[in-house]
Amino acid sequence: MARRGAVARRALLALALPLPLAAQAPDPLAAVMAGLAAVRESRAAFVEEKEMPELDRPLVSRGVLLWRAPDRLEKRTLEPVPETFLVEGDRVTLERPQRGVRETIDLDASPEIRPLVEAIRATLAGDLATLRAHHEVAFTGDARAWRLRLVPRSPRVRAAVQRIVLEGEGAFLRLVETQGNEGRSRMMATPLP
Amino acid sequence: MRRLAALLGTLALLAGALALTLRLVEIRGDIADFLPAPQSAEGAFLLQELRGGTATTLLLAGIEGAPAADLARISQAMAARLAADGRFAMVANGALLVGEAEAALLFAHRYALSAAGPDAFTEPALRAALEGVLDGLRSSAAPLVRRTAFADPTGAFLGLLRGWAGEARVATSHGVWMAEGPRALLLAQSRAAGLDTDAQAEAVAAFHAAFAAAAPPPGARLLLSGPGVFAAEAAATVQADVRLVSILSLLLVGAFLLWRYRSPVMLAVVAVALAAGALAGTLVVAAVFGHVHGAALGFGITTLGIAADYPLLVVTGRAPGEALRTAARRIWPTLRLAAATSVAGLVPMLAAGFPGLAQFGLFAASGLIAAVLAARWLVPALLPPEGLPVRPLPDALSRALLRLPARRGAVLGGLGAVAVALALAGGPRLERDLAALSPVPAAVQALDGELRRQVGAPDVRVVLTLTAPDAEAALQAAERAAAALLAAGAAGAIDHPGRILPSAATQRARLDALPAAEVLAARLEAAQAGLPFRPGAFAPFLAAVAEARAQPPLTPPHLAASPVLAARLAPLLRPEGARWRALLLPSGIEDMAALRRAAAAVPGLLVVDIKAETEALLDAGVGTALRWSAAGGVMVLLLLGAGRGLAGGLRVAGVLAGALLVTFAALAVLGERITVFHLTAALLLAGVGMDYALFMSRSEPNSGRDGNEEAARALGSVITCMITTLLTFGLLALCATPVLHATGLTVAVGVVAAFLLACTLAPRRDATT
Repeated sequence: MARRGAVARRALLALALPLPLAAQAPDPLAAVMAGLAAVRESRAAFVEEKEMPELDRPLVSRGVLLWRAPDRLEKRTLEPVPETFLVEGDRVTLERPQRGVRETIDLDASPEIRPLVEAIRATLAGDLATLRAHHEVAFTGDARAWRLRLVPRSPRVRAAVQRIVLEGEGAFLRLVETQGNEGRSRMMATPLP
Repeated sequence: MRRLAALLGTLALLAGALALTLRLVEIRGDIADFLPAPQSAEGAFLLQELRGGTATTLLLAGIEGAPAADLARISQAMAARLAADGRFAMVANGALLVGEAEAALLFAHRYALSAAGPDAFTEPALRAALEGVLDGLRSSAAPLVRRTAFADPTGAFLGLLRGWAGEARVATSHGVWMAEGPRALLLAQSRAAGLDTDAQAEAVAAFHAAFAAAAPPPGARLLLSGPGVFAAEAAATVQADVRLVSILSLLLVGAFLLWRYRSPVMLAVVAVALAAGALAGTLVVAAVFGHVHGAALGFGITTLGIAADYPLLVVTGRAPGEALRTAARRIWPTLRLAAATSVAGLVPMLAAGFPGLAQFGLFAASGLIAAVLAARWLVPALLPPEGLPVRPLPDALSRALLRLPARRGAVLGGLGAVAVALALAGGPRLERDLAALSPVPAAVQALDGELRRQVGAPDVRVVLTLTAPDAEAALQAAERAAAALLAAGAAGAIDHPGRILPSAATQRARLDALPAAEVLAARLEAAQAGLPFRPGAFAPFLAAVAEARAQPPLTPPHLAASPVLAARLAPLLRPEGARWRALLLPSGIEDMAALRRAAAAVPGLLVVDIKAETEALLDAGVGTALRWSAAGGVMVLLLLGAGRGLAGGLRVAGVLAGALLVTFAALAVLGERITVFHLTAALLLAGVGMDYALFMSRSEPNSGRDGNEEAARALGSVITCMITTLLTFGLLALCATPVLHATGLTVAVGVVAAFLLACTLAPRRDATT
């Protein structure tokens, strides 16, 4: 709750900004990125829904997202099947204890995975350069409520994932929606203390 | 002046002829020539593996000294270049193993290759598989899962790949194998046999060229290891050591001979005898065997060190005012006996039964004969009649040495004590580790161990092997053997060719066990109940199973299209003459005896304990050499008895035995383990020691001045021989290379002991008592 308070305060602050100051920062995308970069650590609960052509109803899973600047992102699925997906540095670890699976891959060795990881991680890190290295970035909205529409630059990646949409409020990433030919997935986050 | 020209001309002629001969004669390097003919099938297999087994063709490379990203780039560039090079059967660097075409082939044959039995297609198993698919689709790995899940819900294909990947325990980074450091790792298998030194040198050169072509940043280093590299490295190390020691000893011996004979000519005289010996040895061996073994040449030339003494003994033994020819004629009976006994000691090796030892014996024996003939007839003809002036030894030294026979009792007592001590300590210890015999520097061996550990290449200790008339029969036999051993609990796991490519029979059985299309469809529908899959989601799976049932099995001739599978299979299954050989590599052996028992129950299956078999081969080799040396010793004794009578013979034999005893005791005290190199050096030592003893006791004691002068001259000759030997072979003791160090140390300790004993056991003289 304290976190949400902070967001609200920041939003108020933005409203209260005198015009000349706002004119000094004419790029709202840069402002959003700066705000995200200022967050060193955050926790959020998520609900994810996946739709696929072979399934007649979406698959739902829930868990928590843990972020620690500059490069550690953990997506911990709690139900229905526990899973930990951890990105740290160039290493991705996927752990599914019930199946005895623990796999580590190197992002450098996986050019088709890195753009998908960076879509979320570079956004949380407020690292626009990395984001743009992998995606065409289109920004709409303003610093309070924004929307990033990413299209992977790599044709190979684009063959599988056509776009990723991220929505946020201030420095909080609220929604990640991925549209691919494998179907569509929506991950909705709510901040945790 | 004319004589000097003749001497130098003769030397140049001999040296030129020797160089030409060595160039023309075929020199072989097959170590197996130096091992006895194997008595067992296990030994034969091991010898064959040593000669050209897959293990000997492996090349390991590490790239370090740059950031990981650069190393990975170099690794990829090198792997691409080496894979395109026809010299390598396999190149691996951890990058995506299976290409798309191969993946498609393996995917199509997944039900024949996968070990998952018909149980995978029951309704409950299918239900579990479908739930697993659902789990996978929920997971972050969903895109990967989706790629194969609907055509292969039971995971036969992924299981196959996982089974292969599970064996490589190397971490990958930036897409390639990367160990701590960082160090990128590459693995290659040359098509040429490991002991084909020239081809291995080419393979090594190809690695260096590929590294250079990858434009490494400054500081980046290529580390290479493997049997081929070892061979090249060993040759280079030995050569470098020998060159250094040769130069050093040439200078020292030259200086010593210059001091002793006031002329550098003596050096050329010694060289003439040695060159004559080496030339004769090479020619005779080449004439008899058609080729010369490199090691026989090396050991043989070492043993020719005995021959260096012959011209020294002739020149130094000349009495004042005596013509050199006369002196040579006078000394000849002793010289002849010395050479004859040395040759007699070597001749039995001709019958030893393995070509390496026979060549060595023949080389050394014919070389000694040529050298002694050169000393008798060539040397006097090439030197002025008055010979070379000999500087007298310091008075105090010769008096002290000539007085040694007075202390004979004490010395013999001391020898007895040494013998008892050595016997109590359990005698000299034999070296049984092949690695310790290797002239490869320890640092290179350590690097090899490290790279092997990092790549996860197993250090295979036990190999099971069998042969069959064709590949299919070999695969079937390997499958049966592995099943029998696992059932008996003889090993934790067994890697065998059937795991990579099951026999056609096994593949057919697996495909026949697949359920019929309508049966599978019914089970699948039942298994799907309540799960969110749309009808028809698994149509690709049903089609694939129906297709697989009609498929012909994958057999070795198909593998050209599957390079990774072929590379995995090659070390475990290969044609051998008209038959096929399969290898089984057990791991997690707890009870070797149980493994042997279980293996004995499988017809035709050999258990090869690599370490034990190697040790047995080495022991047999050393044992054979020792037995034939003992036979040689008996012949030497007989000759000595014939030449010097019982007492004289015993005197010489006493010097020999005492010198060998002191040498081996000293080696034991120094913590040296006895290797074949020590034994060769001991032969050399025995030869020179015998010369010392023969010359020190040449003239029977008489009370005149002549006798004493004669004794002093003999002492002068023998001490010169000893010092030159020390300055040549003794210096080798300072080398780190095991072969050179062992030779040098043994000879250094031995010649000093032999010299002192020869002085001590020489007949007593009136003037000195």
